[in-house]
Order: sequence, then C-alpha cells, then structure tokens
Amino acid sequence: MHSLSRRLLLSVSAPLALFFGVMMVVLDTGFRALSERTLRELLDSQMVSLIAAAEPQPDGGYAPPPQVREQRLSTPHSGLYAQIRSQQHQWRSPSTAGLAADFGPLLVPGERTITYAAFDHDRVAVESRAIQFADDPTGARAFTFSVAVSLSPYEEQLWRYRQRLVGWFIGLMLVLLVTLAALLHWMLRPVRRLEREIHEVEEGRRENLGAGYPRELAGVATHLNALLIGERKRVARYRDTLGNLAHSLKTPLAVMRSSLPGEARGSTVSAEIDRMSGIIEHQLKRAAASGGALLGQAPVDVAQVAAELRGALLKVYANKDLSLELAVGPGTQFVGDRGDLMELLGNILDNACKWCRSRVRLTAGSDESADPRERLSLVMEDDGPGISEADRARVLGRGVRADQNVPGHGLGLAMVHDTVDLYGGRLSIDTSPLGGARVTVRLPGR
Amino acid sequence: MRVLVVEDEATLRDSLKERLAAAGFTVDVARDGNEGLFAGLEYPLDVAIVDLGLPNLPGLEVIRRLRAARKTFPILILTARDNWQDKVEGLQAGADDYVAKPFHFEEVLARLQALLRRAGGWASPQLTCGSVSLDTRAQSVQVGGAPVELTTFEYRILEHLMLRAGDVISKTELTERLYDQDFERDSNVIEVLVGRLRRKLDPRDELHPIETLRGRGYRFALPRDSGS
Repeated sequence: MHSLSRRLLLSVSAPLALFFGVMMVVLDTGFRALSERTLRELLDSQMVSLIAAAEPQPDGGYAPPPQVREQRLSTPHSGLYAQIRSQQHQWRSPSTAGLAADFGPLLVPGERTITYAAFDHDRVAVESRAIQFADDPTGARAFTFSVAVSLSPYEEQLWRYRQRLVGWFIGLMLVLLVTLAALLHWMLRPVRRLEREIHEVEEGRRENLGAGYPRELAGVATHLNALLIGERKRVARYRDTLGNLAHSLKTPLAVMRSSLPGEARGSTVSAEIDRMSGIIEHQLKRAAASGGALLGQAPVDVAQVAAELRGALLKVYANKDLSLELAVGPGTQFVGDRGDLMELLGNILDNACKWCRSRVRLTAGSDESADPRERLSLVMEDDGPGISEADRARVLGRGVRADQNVPGHGLGLAMVHDTVDLYGGRLSIDTSPLGGARVTVRLPGR
Repeated sequence: MRVLVVEDEATLRDSLKERLAAAGFTVDVARDGNEGLFAGLEYPLDVAIVDLGLPNLPGLEVIRRLRAARKTFPILILTARDNWQDKVEGLQAGADDYVAKPFHFEEVLARLQALLRRAGGWASPQLTCGSVSLDTRAQSVQVGGAPVELTTFEYRILEHLMLRAGDVISKTELTERLYDQDFERDSNVIEVLVGRLRRKLDPRDELHPIETLRGRGYRFALPRDSGS
C-alpha cells in the first residue's frame, strides 16, 4: 500500500463492487418477482380454459374433449400438463405420458394451492383447484383440477438474465476502473515529476526544482527550493566565516613573528607560532571540509580540477624540470564538494612535486563495479625518495589525536586522510613503479 | 632590485620593508589594493608581493589588472587562507608563487630571489657568466674563483646587470633600482659605481665584463654559462 494510486483504486473499487453487488441482488429479485407473476397468470389462464373446456364423461368423470383441448396438452413432454381428478375418476393430459407426474393430493372444494414439484427431472409449478358442482351438495363428486407448467424456460430466462447482468456489471466496472486509473495517472503526473526532479537534485543533475507545478504542489516545490538554496548559502557562509577566522587569526601571528627581534627568531616563541598556525590551519580545514555532496550540487569534473592544479603547480615549481602527467579517464566525476577535492589533490600533488626528481603522475578513473563510496580512484605517483614506513604509519594511523598530528611538517597528508575519512573512502600509501611514493585514494565517484 | 609590498597590516608591512631593504632590495610599499595597483602601474618594479586579503581592492583584482596592463614582473602572493582554491585562483590571475601566513621571512626572500632569477632566465641561485659568478643567496661575487668584495650599491648594480645579462639597461633604470624615491639623482653616481665595479671585477682590463653603449646604457657582455 505504498502507492497513492493503488490506494485510491482499491478504495474506489471496493465500494463500487459492493454497489454493483447490491444492484444485482435488487434487479434479480425484481426480475424473479416479475417472472413469477407471469407464471401465475399463465397458470390461471390455463386453469380457466381447462375448467371451461372440461365436460362430463360417460363414465362419470370429467375431461376436456380432444378437439377443444390446448395443443400442448396433447403433445408429450410439452411442458404443460393437466389433471382432473375425483375420488373415483382421474384424467391426465396426454402430455404427461411416460412421466412420473405427481400433481398433489385431492383438495377440499373451494381450496386452491400453488406448489412446486418435479416430474421426473422437469421442475414444474402446479396450481390445483377443487370445484364442487351445484347439484352435489355433499361434495362427493368434487373434482380437483390441476395445471402444471414446466419451469425450465423461466429458469433458463433467469439464468440468461443473470449472466447478462453480471457481464454488463463487470464490463462497466472495468471501464470505470480503467477510466479512474487513467485519471489518476494524469492527476498524479505533477507528483511524479516532483519525485523525478527531487531524484535529479539528489544525483546532482539539477540545482533546484523547476517551475510550473499545480497550485497544490507549487508551495511544496517553492519551500523545497528555498530549503536547498538556504542550505547551500548556509554552508557557503559557514566556510566563508571559517576562512575569515583563519585570516584574522593568522595575520596577527604573522605580525607576531615579524615583530620578533632577530635573535629570537629560532626561539620557543617562534616554534609556538608555528604550532599555533599549524593547529589553526588543520582544525579550520577540517571544519570546512564538508564530507559529502550538498543536495543539488553537481558532481565535480576531476579532469578540470586536476588541470587547474597542474597549471598552478607548474608555475610554483617552475624552477624544477617537472613533468606532471595527468591520465584522467573521460567523464570521471567526484560526488562531493569541489573545494574538498581541490584541497585533497592539491596537497597530494604538491607533496609529490616537492619530493619528486622530475616525474609526477596522476591517474584517475571511475570503477563502476566498486561501492559508490569508493567508485572514484585517484593514484598519485612520483619518482622521489618515497614515504618511509614510519611516516606512512603516522599518516594512516588511527587514534592519533588530530591536534597532535599537526600537518605541514613534511607531509600534507594528514589533512588528506581526514578528508578521505569524512567521505568514507580509502587511503593507502605504497611504492610506485616510478620509484617514489604512490598514494592511492578511493572516494565517492561516478 | 625594486620590490613592491602591498600589505594592509602595518606591522607586517614595516617589518617586510625593513628586512627586504636589509637584504638589498629597494622597497615600495602600498597599504591597500588601490595604492598597490597605482604603484604597480607607475613604478619600474622588478617584483611585487601582494597580500590577497586587501581592503578597497582585493589582491586578486590588483594582480588581474596589472597583468591586463601588460605588467610582466613576477608577483608573489601572501595568503592567510591557505587553501588550494585561492592559490589556484591567484596563480591563474597571473601571480607566480605563493607564501602562506604566518611566513618565515627567509622563505619569502628565497621565493623572491627565485622569481627574479626565473624572470631573468636563470634556473639556479648561482649566476655565472664567463669567469664572473654571483650567488644571490649569499650576495657574494667571485671572479675566477676568487672572492671580490663589493659595496651594497655595487652589488645591486651587478646583480641587476647579470640577471639580465645580454640586455641593455639604461642609467635611469639602474638609478631607479638603487633608490626608492623618485626624485632626480645625479646619473654621475651610476657612472662612478660602474667604473668602480669594472676595476674590481677586471683589475687587469682583460675581461671587459660591462659594456657602455653611448646614450643607451650598459650591458653585461660575458656569455651566460650554459649549465646555469
């Protein structure tokens, strides 16, 4: 029951079925009452003709003479039967020939009954009437006239009627349900569009929801958009504040350092300034790293970020005869914040450029078969001295308190480790075929 | 070498000015982006240090406008927001290197010297032309392996000529690099300094390291060492 249209269809079809059921019972009852009346009228008229046609017989009995007799009474198994019976005499119509016909008991004069019986397999309605003649005050010569009509034509008619009724009702109900489903489909189209657009926002394929929703949904769409934009603004403001904080903390530190007298420049104060600046740097960057894609944020094109960094690094390391190769698979995307990727790649590549002799290589690609959180693979290699086992352990070591693990002293990788952790990715360090360090990072990608 | 320092923090600015001057630079200072842009456009600079977080006109914009005006001297960024986005933007805008605050002065100096060498087409801090070699880090000069003692002004003139060895440099340009004020200097001072330099570098008058081009200026004539 998780679909609105299914709920609606079910809740409509149940009362509809009930309504049709009741309608069917009412119509059926009406039809049966009508056919029963018709049957009785038929019985009555047959009875009247039988009584009118009957004449006394030489043996003292009563019977309609063959020439005035209803045709069907003479045809065997015709469906119309008659019997005239007294205590001494009995006449049965030729149509009863060969049938085990039981018209019921003799009646007291003036009595009249309608009963149902079965002549062999033929169900019949039987009307009987006892008639006492005027010249017979004792009633000894009273005759019981009986007429029986086969019910099978009526039953057949009723059956056909019911069949048609059910057929029509089922057809009607189907048409109604199909119409309703089509209506629902049309009515829920904006809801499906909303769903699709929210999905696209989640996937970062669009920034916010489009316009042109019906009045009932426009409010929802507007508020969702406001929420999305608000959230993005909030994060931007948060980062801006952190940046300003870093700026306003580090400028005084720079002033402090520059005001130290010449002989104090290698002193404890200077070392503490270094430490403070390292902590500010590290903690603020940690706080600013988002660790996830914001809703509506487009995935980041890794090739573009890498190319920008390459340009910057070639400029910074212009003194070095540097070859910075980028091998980024086409359409390789990072699902997360652009700034985070830039910091991460910048730190690793800067490190590699700092330590390499002449070659640095970045290989990036997406691995469709991997877990979404590890789909993007970034491999940075250089031909420098490599990273010692002790330093690898220090960078990758868990349980090291962040403020003890101040970056910027040789390895900018602690920050990289934090970012990778935030995204639930993976970081590993080993030796590259180029001879130096190989840093492999797995991050959410597409 | 003439350097422009664009920094809004007075203590930092003064300290940089004092220590760069002590390191042999002629220093111009600017307190905000507009002043910095003006100085960058008007003064004959060799290099500039620009803080990114400046009042009135952001450092990035100063750099962009200087580059748009075809100013080619190297620019070193100072940034307190040590993130790659800012560095990349700064370098894309036309800066050549960056230093994060709080910096060690020695690092700023080393970067400046590296930028100047690069601008002159030198790869290492050791400039060698023929038998004359000059170490920009130690500010020392040797001729044929023997150290030569130079005064500050003599050293500055020689460094300037050697960094751009092969180029003709006018007396006015040399004068501007020696003094941080604009007022007229007697160009005889330069002639006297160059004369003293020639005697110190080439006492036997064999090398002829510095040529005089009448009416145009001076040129360091010894060929650059291909290895440097």
